[in-house]
Amino acid sequence: MTPGRAPAALVPTMPHLLAGDPAPSWAELAAATRTVGDRLRAAGVDTVLLLSTQWFTVLGHQVQCDERLRGRRTDENWYAYDYGHLDHDLAIDTELAHSWADAIDAAGMQARRTRYEGFPVDTGTVVAARLLDPDGRGRWAQVSCNLYADPAAMAAVAAAGVRAAQGLGRRPGIVAVSGLSSGLTPRWIRPAEDRVEPEHDRWNRKVLDAIRAGDRGAVLAMREEFADAAQADSQFRAFAFLDGSGAVDRPGEVLAYGPVWGTGAAVVWWGGSGGRGESTERES
Amino acid sequence: MARVFHATAGSGRSAARRAPGTEPAPAPAPRSASRGGIVAGYLAPHPPHLVYAENPPQNEPRSTGGWEVLRWGYEELRRRLRAHRPDVLIVHAPHWITMVGHHVNCVPNPRGVSVEPIFPHLFRYHYDFRTDVDLAEAIVEEGSRAGLVTSAMREDGVRVDYATIGALHLANPDWDLPVVSLSANNNPYFYSDASLTEMETLGAATRRAVERTGRRAVLLASNSLSHLHWDTEPDLPEDMGVERPFTHAQYAGDMELLQTIREGPTSRLKAAVPKHIEATSSETKAGSLTWLLAAMGWPAIAGDVLAYGTVIATGNAVVEWVAP
Ligand SMILES: [Fe+2]
Repeated sequence: MTPGRAPAALVPTMPHLLAGDPAPSWAELAAATRTVGDRLRAAGVDTVLLLSTQWFTVLGHQVQCDERLRGRRTDENWYAYDYGHLDHDLAIDTELAHSWADAIDAAGMQARRTRYEGFPVDTGTVVAARLLDPDGRGRWAQVSCNLYADPAAMAAVAAAGVRAAQGLGRRPGIVAVSGLSSGLTPRWIRPAEDRVEPEHDRWNRKVLDAIRAGDRGAVLAMREEFADAAQADSQFRAFAFLDGSGAVDRPGEVLAYGPVWGTGAAVVWWGGSGGRGESTERES
Repeated sequence: MARVFHATAGSGRSAARRAPGTEPAPAPAPRSASRGGIVAGYLAPHPPHLVYAENPPQNEPRSTGGWEVLRWGYEELRRRLRAHRPDVLIVHAPHWITMVGHHVNCVPNPRGVSVEPIFPHLFRYHYDFRTDVDLAEAIVEEGSRAGLVTSAMREDGVRVDYATIGALHLANPDWDLPVVSLSANNNPYFYSDASLTEMETLGAATRRAVERTGRRAVLLASNSLSHLHWDTEPDLPEDMGVERPFTHAQYAGDMELLQTIREGPTSRLKAAVPKHIEATSSETKAGSLTWLLAAMGWPAIAGDVLAYGTVIATGNAVVEWVAP
């Protein structure tokens, strides 16, 4: 492969992005996620290394090793809406998945190879896959989000994924599926009513400003405070994962930011370098 | 601390506890046999390890056992539950996570395979049970009348979670009783803890629904206690050589709560449960135990602790409260 930094992205978890009648913010977030998919293809990415905070686990680091994740997800909360019923069909790069699991073990952590018929693919993964890869031609390697492990471990897991991809000559893209603030509006609302509460909004913007500035140290330093002040999704482990891949030590391009049922969601793109057919990063 | 009320520890039946199969289940009291209402409640923790260890035909993985003391506690629970002759089991479980409101499963015959995303190597359970739809709908109505956001879930495709199945299987492995399953309106991992005040409202609504429909109900609160645990697993999941409390403080926190439970009355738990959550990150923060006690009307009785043990370091107790 051509050596260089992998392109990376942060995309939202919530299924509202697939609503037939979306709020303006949901539509913008969905369009931005599709843009990320276009850019990943343009960058010549072979396999996306995916972390979804909605596949949260507590023991070791689960790596999806089933070659095909085909089925229908009925969301246990959003089933009354069109976006609560999601068909999915993901092709897993099993060679890379096994290699990633081996690399996790070799780094002194515990990988857990997951291959079970009927395994419930999480809503965040399905939403991201449908928007990033609408034609279903992409390949994925996926690891779970261990909520009991130190965030530094998530960074080490991502680094292991990048090493595994390089070892196989794959050009990886790195995608973390996670929200920002998670203060959900605790009632049924109309899409037009959707907004992030001011304190959470202030925190989300502060984090996104640091991301725009390419100040990964600042983002990592404020992660815990962000988690406490704005109930950050999974204590914003997603950023630790992205950081471990080495992909976010440069300015991130915030393609969209807005509310999804009171939570904060953003689409952020970090262009890579040195890949096949790499596109030039656009100014936001 | 001055105690203003003292209740006898344990129920009358605890003294007669025996291994299953060595004696018939105790006969229910004639007075209560014909009576509707909530007749008993159980703290019924759901670690999938307990189902895995039992090797029931519904669960695909096979084990060599483990966590026996907790499972013996459940065997005693089963004998006692049967003696209460309930019409229905109502379970509140923390892993049917609903972000908006309290949902009640109104699917008449939930069926499927529940592959647990966190413990898929331990729990791939084929479930097939009946819902008491009239009671389920009554709980939705009463909850909503009390000002709660409630929903009647009627979608076949929603997978039943392991905390619901685990408590129900462990309490009644024959699945020969109708069920009502309630969701947890919180996320124990990152959204929020349950509002315990709201869980009291839901409990009271559950009680009104049971009384309105004339059911004889047993409640299951599907919660573990202290909830810090390991983040890796031994090669043999049931390796009891490594099973122990996470810390002494976690164990001591559980014992303090269980002592309060054993002494009674349950009203002391209104203060003890939040304190225990603070001290041990107890899974009761999902609200199931508060819901159960509120539904029983915070009776002036003691609970009977049938077993305690740790599972991947979390504390778990099987407890019975018999309605006075
Ligand atoms: Fe649990």
